[in-house]
Parts: sequence; structure tokens; C-alpha cells
Amino acid sequence: MGSMIAARGSTEYRKNLTQIIGYAVLICVLALIPLITKSSYILHIFILTLIYTIAAASMRFIITSGQIPLAHAAYMGLGAYISGVLSKNFGISPWLTLIIAAIAAMGLGIFISFPFARLKAFYYAIVSLFFGVGLLQAIESLGKLTGGLSGITAIPTLFNTTSKVPFYYLFLALTVVSLVILYRLEVSRIGWNLKAIEQSYLVSGSVGISEVKYRVLAVAVGCFFVGLAGGMYANYNVTVSPSSFDTTSTLWLVIYVTIGGMNNFSGPIIGTALLFLLPQYYRGLKQFTPFISAAILFAVVYMFRDGIVSIPGLIKAFYQRIKGNSTK
Amino acid sequence: MKIIEITGLTKYFGGLAAVSGIDITVNEGEVLGLIGPNGAGKSTLFNLITGVIQPTSGKVVFKGKDITGKRPHEIAELGIGRTFQLNPLFPNFTVLRNVISSFQIRPRSSLLDTFFNTPVYRRNEAYILEQSLEILKLVGLYKVKDELAKNQPHGYQKMLGVARALAIKPELLLLDEPIAGMNPDEIDNTIEAIKRTSKLGVTIILVEHNMKILEICNRVIVMNFGQKIVEGSPQEIKDNPEVIKAYLGSGHDTKY
Repeated sequence: MGSMIAARGSTEYRKNLTQIIGYAVLICVLALIPLITKSSYILHIFILTLIYTIAAASMRFIITSGQIPLAHAAYMGLGAYISGVLSKNFGISPWLTLIIAAIAAMGLGIFISFPFARLKAFYYAIVSLFFGVGLLQAIESLGKLTGGLSGITAIPTLFNTTSKVPFYYLFLALTVVSLVILYRLEVSRIGWNLKAIEQSYLVSGSVGISEVKYRVLAVAVGCFFVGLAGGMYANYNVTVSPSSFDTTSTLWLVIYVTIGGMNNFSGPIIGTALLFLLPQYYRGLKQFTPFISAAILFAVVYMFRDGIVSIPGLIKAFYQRIKGNSTK
Repeated sequence: MKIIEITGLTKYFGGLAAVSGIDITVNEGEVLGLIGPNGAGKSTLFNLITGVIQPTSGKVVFKGKDITGKRPHEIAELGIGRTFQLNPLFPNFTVLRNVISSFQIRPRSSLLDTFFNTPVYRRNEAYILEQSLEILKLVGLYKVKDELAKNQPHGYQKMLGVARALAIKPELLLLDEPIAGMNPDEIDNTIEAIKRTSKLGVTIILVEHNMKILEICNRVIVMNFGQKIVEGSPQEIKDNPEVIKAYLGSGHDTKY
């Protein structure tokens, strides 16, 4: 029996090793992109992809606990506005406001999630949807400070340069760090407990998992990272307006997660990358982007419920079935 | 020694008294059977004890400590384990993961230990894995440990529920219809497992319709319409005319 466990341990270790090597190669390739392309537009797309990857991955982290946070883009907006206003109007260094934005979003997330923590999936989705709309309205109505509907402009950036390369490297590093933290959480007992609560809060309670504690924790972590993404967005993009963080933006995040695959950690990463990078191939048809994205979404939802990341597994299963049939 | 003392426990659902003024005392090491027809309030009583629902009035004292109105996870921490009649598990986890995920309290790693994967956390997890395999052997599920829980037959799922409840190292175990819907073989295995668990020093309260379970009880309480009607040894219960009338029915041979 001991050897069985050891054997399983070693295959897991080998699997982890190949995974780590794969990720290392991917990061190296991404790090080379500024050397390959001189186009600042392409770099801009990649930077946005990185920002939204953090947002989508943090949203999925909350989804694993069984709650669908439809206020997620509003929290990103909160982070963006806090970072933007503090660095522009109060002269605080953008490096510092980035962290403040993340902590503020986390704080509000914790504060709000206590009363909502025991709402189940559908009810939580509705409540958070309206909370998101309300939060954005509140930000808008702060008039002078936030510039109302037109937003704020001329936000100080993290680097005093017109080049996008330093932004790209910084954001790549931040994304990698964020994803590593989220991954560590997911594969630890914390992540398993969130999935346990998602499956049955009754059974979870009966073995001593505090439903409220873990749901609040999930929201705290998710909001921290989406606040960080918001701060990154503000201090990179220079302008921030409410329309970037409305309900539609939240739904885009849901689409990134769904297309990539909700039940897999790499789902939101692949989904975001696909939906940001794919439209670059048909740039001439830019006005059709939403339709093409919708078509992809429909195709994925009908054919692979677990998203694009489940395709290799399905192909493998299909291949094994064919092989099994032919040997009979 | 008394392990749990329930006094005047009452729960109203609207105008209906699901449980009304129940008094039950259970001694350490006892196996108490709780029988009664559908709707007698047996499962409600379990839910009241474990904090899933809050009582309208009355008191539950566990080991000298008032636990009325506590949340389910707090009650689990105190050492009351339970199984559920329906959906007793985490369907999308493997059998082994179900048990591992049920080890939350003894030992418990702090969030920081968990996140930073400290030696404390890793030692706890190694211990939990070993203990989980031990429990799966005890209930006879070791052979299916790596399969998804939802793909298991009904009897296995029920046993997994017991395995999960054992993982919290309970002093009091509440079993909600442990043998309902099982075939005769599974019933025998389950009764064996309950006997073994009882021998480990765990006090057990079990709810059941199947009269076969009476053979392992020290004492039986019969409930009807949210009230205790009779209490006594299994033999007394079998012979009690009121029980036969209220629960087993009258006018035909019950063969028990």
C-alpha cells in the first residue's frame, strides 16, 4: 500500500514537473514578445490581455465556491478609480496606489460579502449584479472627484515613458505572481473546501467547514486581485471611465471564464487570451467582434461544457475509444 | 455519564409542530435507536441538534455545554458527527477526497500554514491521508477510493457518508437512515460497521424505518407526530401494543 501511494506520488510529481516546464517555456515566449514585435498596438493588446487575465482568473476563484460574482467588473472599476484619483489628485505614487486599490477592493468585498455569504448561486448572482450597478453609480455620482460619466483623464502612469515595453514586463510579472498565488490557493485545502461548499453546504457544515468564512475568503481574494487589475488598468491606460466597468464588462469576464473552462485553473487564462488575441486576425471586421465571440461561446457551450481546455481530454478519450473498438 | 441532554425541544414550521417538547438523554457509549413513521420529526430532530435549523424553544446540552443555536460547523467542531438521508457526500470528488475533505477539525491547519505549504500543513495532510485510508478500510470502501463519489452505488454512497462523519472524530454520531434503500448484504455490512464504530467508544443515535436495526440498539425511542410515545429496550418496543398500532400497523402479521 505504501508503495502504491509512493508510485502515485511520483507520477503526480512528474506531471507537476512537465507542467512547470511548460509554464516556464510559455513565460519565456511571452517575455520575448517585445523583442519580436515593434508594434506598440500589438503590445497594447498583450498588456490588456494580461490585465484581464488577472480579472478573469480572480472571478473564477470566487465561482469555485459556488457564487457567481456579477459585480466583478465594478470592483475592477473601484480599484481603477481609487488608484487613478489617489495618484492624480493626491499625488501619491502610482506604485503605492496600485496596492491601495487592491486592498480597498478587498475591504469592500469582505464588508459586503458578510450579509450575502449564505446566498446560493442564483440569488447571489442577482444581488451582486445590482450591487455592481449601484457601486458604479456611486462612483459616477462623486462628480468632481471622478469626473462623472466622462471619467478621469491624465492619470499619472507607472513609468514616465511613452514606450509600452516596461509596462509589459511589469504586468507580465504581476500576472504570473497573481496566478501563482491563486493556483496555490486552489490546490491547497482552501481550494478543496471552496469546492466542497459549492457541492453541498449542508455536508460541508457537518464536517466543520464554515460556509461564511470560506465564502468571505473567496470574495476577499477575488476582489483583491480584481482591484489590482483595476489599478493596473488605470495607471497604464491614463484614462478611466465608468463604461469600462459596467455590467457588460462583467459579462465579458463571465464569457472569458466560460469559453476557457470554468472547472479548470487555466480556463480563464486561455479564454481571455483567445478572445483578446483572436480578433487581431480579422482586424478589418472589427465591428463583428461581439458576434464572432458569441458564436464561439455558443459553440463551446453546446459542444464542450467544460470549455476549450477540455478539448485535449475529449480527443484523448475519443482516440482511446476508437483504439478500444479496433482491438476487439 | 450523560453525553447529550435534550430538554423541551420544539420546532414549529408555520403552525405545524414538527418536533414538540422532546426530552431525550443519551449516555456515553450507548446506541440509541429513533424510530417512527414518516413525518414523525426524526430528521428534524437531527437537524435541530446539529444546528442546520434553529429550534423554536428548548435546549440541547452536549457534554455539559449548551449548544442550542450554534452553527453546524461549530457543532461539528465540538464532536458531533452526522450523516444525511439524501445526498450524503460531495458528488464530484473521489471517494478518498470526500474523506480527506471531511478532515477539517482534528487536525486543523491555519489558513497561513495552508497557503504557505508549511511543514505543519504537510505533516497534517500526510496524517489525514493515512487516517482517511484507514477509515475507508473500516467501512469497506478502500477498493473504490479513486473513483468519483457520484458514480458509486447507493449503498456505497451511504457508507461513504458514515466514513465522512467518522473523519471528524466524533464522540456522538447521528446516523440518518443508514440502511435505507440497501440490499440485504449491504445492510449486514453496514450493521457490522456501526457495531465496530460503537466499539471504538462512539455514542450513536440512529434514525431508521427498518426494524432490523433494532438488534444493535441498547435503547429505542419511538416518535410520532413530533412527540416521544414510547421508550424502552428493543424487546419492550417490539412487544408494545401502542407501537405496533402506531408504527408497525395493526391487523396483519409483522413477522418481527
